Amino acid sequence: MSRNQRIGLVVVALVVAVVAFVVARPGDDDDNGAGHAAQTAPAQTETEAAEETGETQTETAPQEAPRPEVSRIRVRGGTVVGGVQRVQANKGDTVRIVVTSDAPDEIHLHGYDIYENVAPGKPGRFVFRADIEGIFEIESHVAEDAGRDPLLARLVVEPS
Amino acid sequence: MIPLAHGFVVRSDLPIPEWLFGWAAAMVLVVSFVALAILWPDPRLQEEGWRPLPRGLGHRLTSRPVEIACGAIGVFLFAVVIYSGLRGTQTATANFTTTFIYVIFWLGLVPASVLLGDVFKAFNPWRAIGRAVAWVARGAARGELPAPLAYPSWLGRWPAAAGIFAFAAMELVAANGDRPENLAIATLIYSALTFIAMALYGVEGWIERGEAFSVYFNLFSRLSPIETRDGVVGYRRPLSGLPALEALPGTVPLLAVMIGSVTFDGAAEAPIWTGIAPDISRFFQDLGLSPQTALEVTFLIGLIAAILLVYGFYCLGVIGARSVGGGFTASRLGGAFIHSLVPIALAYVAAHYLTLLLIQGQAISFLASDPLGDGADLFGTADTQIDYGVIGATATWYWQVGFVVAGHVTALTLAHDRALAIYDKARLAVRSQYWMLAIMVGFTSLALWLLSQSNA
Repeated sequence: MSRNQRIGLVVVALVVAVVAFVVARPGDDDDNGAGHAAQTAPAQTETEAAEETGETQTETAPQEAPRPEVSRIRVRGGTVVGGVQRVQANKGDTVRIVVTSDAPDEIHLHGYDIYENVAPGKPGRFVFRADIEGIFEIESHVAEDAGRDPLLARLVVEPS
Repeated sequence: MIPLAHGFVVRSDLPIPEWLFGWAAAMVLVVSFVALAILWPDPRLQEEGWRPLPRGLGHRLTSRPVEIACGAIGVFLFAVVIYSGLRGTQTATANFTTTFIYVIFWLGLVPASVLLGDVFKAFNPWRAIGRAVAWVARGAARGELPAPLAYPSWLGRWPAAAGIFAFAAMELVAANGDRPENLAIATLIYSALTFIAMALYGVEGWIERGEAFSVYFNLFSRLSPIETRDGVVGYRRPLSGLPALEALPGTVPLLAVMIGSVTFDGAAEAPIWTGIAPDISRFFQDLGLSPQTALEVTFLIGLIAAILLVYGFYCLGVIGARSVGGGFTASRLGGAFIHSLVPIALAYVAAHYLTLLLIQGQAISFLASDPLGDGADLFGTADTQIDYGVIGATATWYWQVGFVVAGHVTALTLAHDRALAIYDKARLAVRSQYWMLAIMVGFTSLALWLLSQSNA
C-alpha cells in the first residue's frame, strides 16, 4: 500500500466518522423550552395537568411555567404498590412527587438530599427543580433500618 | 431485592443514548480499519528508550527521606482506615473507610498510576511496614537475615488474580461489603496474609508478583511515560512499558478478573441480569438458603460467569490467531498478547467509574474532617457537600465513549506491534491480527453495550 493510499484511507474514515456523527446526533434544538413534564411510568399515575409545550398555553396559568404532573408513590405494608417506581424528568423541570404510606416513615431523595416525613393520612410532598442530571434513588429509612430493601423509586433526570 | 454493594453510589449514570451508541460502534469499526491501513511494517514499541529525569530530579524523588515520608503517609492512612472502620459509624456514606477504600484508593490510584507511574509502590503500607520490620530485624540479628524462599515460578500472578477477585466479590457480591467494620476486618485479614507471604518470599518479591494491589496498579502504571528503574525516576515512550510485561502464569486470569468484574458491575444493572437474578436467587432459597445468602450466591455466580466470559473470549482469539500458523503454542500466544488487554481494562474502569470517582470522591473532603462520623471537624471541612452536578450527563457520555475508543486504539496498536515482533513473516502477522482485531472489537462493543444499559 502506498503512502498516498494510506492517507486516503484515513481521510475517508475521518469523513465517514464525522458524517456518522452529524447524521446520528439527534437535533437537540428541537425541544428547547418545551419543558417535558415529569411522569411516572407504571399504571397509577394521576394526571393533574396535561403536558404542555411552549406554544399551547392553558388558560389557567398563562405566565407560569408549565405545571407538571404529580408522581405518586404509594407504600403499603412496607412495599411500593406496583413495584419500584420510575419518575422521569428533564433537567430544569419542576418535579412534584407525593409519597403516601400506611406507616410513619422518613423518605429520602438522594443526591438532591431532600427528606420528607410521611404518616398515615399525611403524605410527604417533594417539590423541587430537577437541576442535576442522572439517576437518583428515593428510599425509605424505616425499611433501611429494618434491613429491608429501602428502594421506593428512581428519579431519572435527563438532559433537557 | 436486598440492596447490594454500591449502596453509597448516590448518582448513577444515565445510559448512553442509542444514537451515541450507534455512532461510537461505527467509530470503533472505522478506527479499526484505519488501524489496518496505517499500520507500520516494523515493530516500534518493543524498546522503551528510558532516560532519567533531568537535573538529578530522578535521584532526589527516590531518596531515602522521600521514601520514608511516602511510606509513613501510606501507613498512616492504613491506620486511619482500620481505626475508623472499627470505631466509627457503620453508615457507609458517613465513614472515612468505605469511601477511602472503594473510591480514593481503588479508583483514584488508577488515573494516578497512568499519569505518574507506579505511585502506589511508594505509598504501599504493606511494603513500608515490611521494609521497616526487615530493617529492625537486620539490626537485631546484627547482619543479614536468611534469604527468602525463591518465588515459585508456577505461582506467577495467580495470588494477585485471587486477591483482585476477592476484592471484587467484597465490593459487588457481599451484601455488607460497604460496611466499614467489615472492610476494616477484611483489610486486617489481607494484611496478615500479605505479611506472612512477605516473610516467606521477601518484601519486594511478594510486592512484585503476589500482592494484589501492587500488581493491579503496576499494570496500569505501565501505560505511563514515567517509570522508576533501579531507584531512579525517569521517563520513557508512552505505552512502551507494556510490551515488557512478562507473561507469568496467572496474568491472563488476572486481566480476565479485572475486565470481568467491571463487566459484571455494569451488567448487574442491565435487564439481562435483573431479569434472571431473581429466578436464580429463588432456586437457592428453595434449597434452604436465607434470602440474603441466596442473593449473594446468585451474584457470585454472575461475577464468575462474567470473568469466564471474558477469559473464554480472549482464549477464542488466541485459538484463532494460532490457526494462521507460525508454530506457536496457545499459551505462548495467549501470553504474547495479554499486555494489549491492559488499556482495555483501563477503558472499562475509566468509563464505568468516572462519575463515581468525580462525585463520591468529593466526599473525602468532609470525611477527612470527620472520619468516624461522630461530628468532629478536624480540618474545618466537615460541612462541605458533594456537588452532584459537577459533570453533566452529556459530558459523561462523551468521556465514556472517548475512553472506550481510546482504549480500543491503544490495544490495537500494542497487539499489532507485538505481532510484528513475534512473527517472522509479515503476512502471518497481518493474518493473526484479524483475529486480535475481532477480539478487540468484541471487548469494545461489550463495553459500549454495558454503558447503554439502563439500571432503571
